[in-house]
Amino acid sequence: MGFGDYPKEYNPAVHGPYDPARYYGKPDTPFGQLKISEIGSWFARRNKSPSAVAGACSRAWWRWQHKYMQPKKVGMAPLFQLLVGSMTFFYVINYGKMKHHRNYKYH
Amino acid sequence: MLSRVALRSAAARQSASTALVARGSATEVSGVRDEKNFPRPVRGEPGKVRLGFIPEEWFQFFHSKTGVTGPYTFGVGLTTYLCSKEIFVMEHEYYTGLSLLIMVYVACKKLGPGIASWLDKEVDSIENEWNEGRRSTIASLEKSIEAEKKAQWSAEGQELLMQAKKENVLLQLEAAYRERAMQAYNEVKRRLDYQLEKSNLERRLSQRAMVDWIVRNVTKAITPEQEKQTLDRCIADLSAIAARQ
Repeated sequence: MGFGDYPKEYNPAVHGPYDPARYYGKPDTPFGQLKISEIGSWFARRNKSPSAVAGACSRAWWRWQHKYMQPKKVGMAPLFQLLVGSMTFFYVINYGKMKHHRNYKYH
Repeated sequence: MLSRVALRSAAARQSASTALVARGSATEVSGVRDEKNFPRPVRGEPGKVRLGFIPEEWFQFFHSKTGVTGPYTFGVGLTTYLCSKEIFVMEHEYYTGLSLLIMVYVACKKLGPGIASWLDKEVDSIENEWNEGRRSTIASLEKSIEAEKKAQWSAEGQELLMQAKKENVLLQLEAAYRERAMQAYNEVKRRLDYQLEKSNLERRLSQRAMVDWIVRNVTKAITPEQEKQTLDRCIADLSAIAARQ
């Protein structure tokens, strides 16, 4: 699978039009339905190659797009989500400098 | 269609191993379309959020475990923890953020509904505009189908009319034929009548001439003696008849 190709599991004759938000491989148990003890084995089963991680990020992006950004009549919610997300991101990357503004010495 | 022909000829030249490369074209791969598990994606409604941006599903995730207030309790507890331990550092930008948050909130409440209704109207008008061409095309095609059907119907009428005209022509031919037959009959009859009349006249004339000629000759042949004898005989006959009575 090179750049710009469909995933290996995608078969247009069976799956129809390609949905970039969808995983066409064999589905595992959703993360939200796991028990705490199963998380380790679930994570061990994951494909952690760079292309798989990129694919997962891409699917997440498109799922978010389809759900919040692309419907016909959207509100401000996706923009607020982007705002909060970017605020959190920049807070995290600047956290090393923020730490110096702490007011209390003992907690 | 041409591309399909090209694909087929290309596939014929390719070996089986390289045919797998052209995965994108639907003609190459086989399988039954699975409509149940892989339905055609449709454009849905936007996802529900709470507090402006938090997905509803995250709250639903809490509901089964902690009840309705659980997610709020978790959020408030987490915030309290972060603040009290000063993991979340409130430096000067934090207060800028608070004032921005208040401004954004007020702007959303004040301007939001108006802008939302205006945008919805715009969306509807754009959608109508985009659908307008399709709708008008469908309408015009339906209209032309109607016109075509009507034209076919009237063409059938033309056929009927043609048949009627043909029958009319046949009738006219028949009428002309009969008229001419009648004319010929009349002409022949007239000529025959003429011949008949002529021969009758000739016979009558010749008869009259013959009668005249015979009478003349007979009267010429009667002598005065004969006349006298006849007269005497007549008188004698008359007296005989008178005596008998």
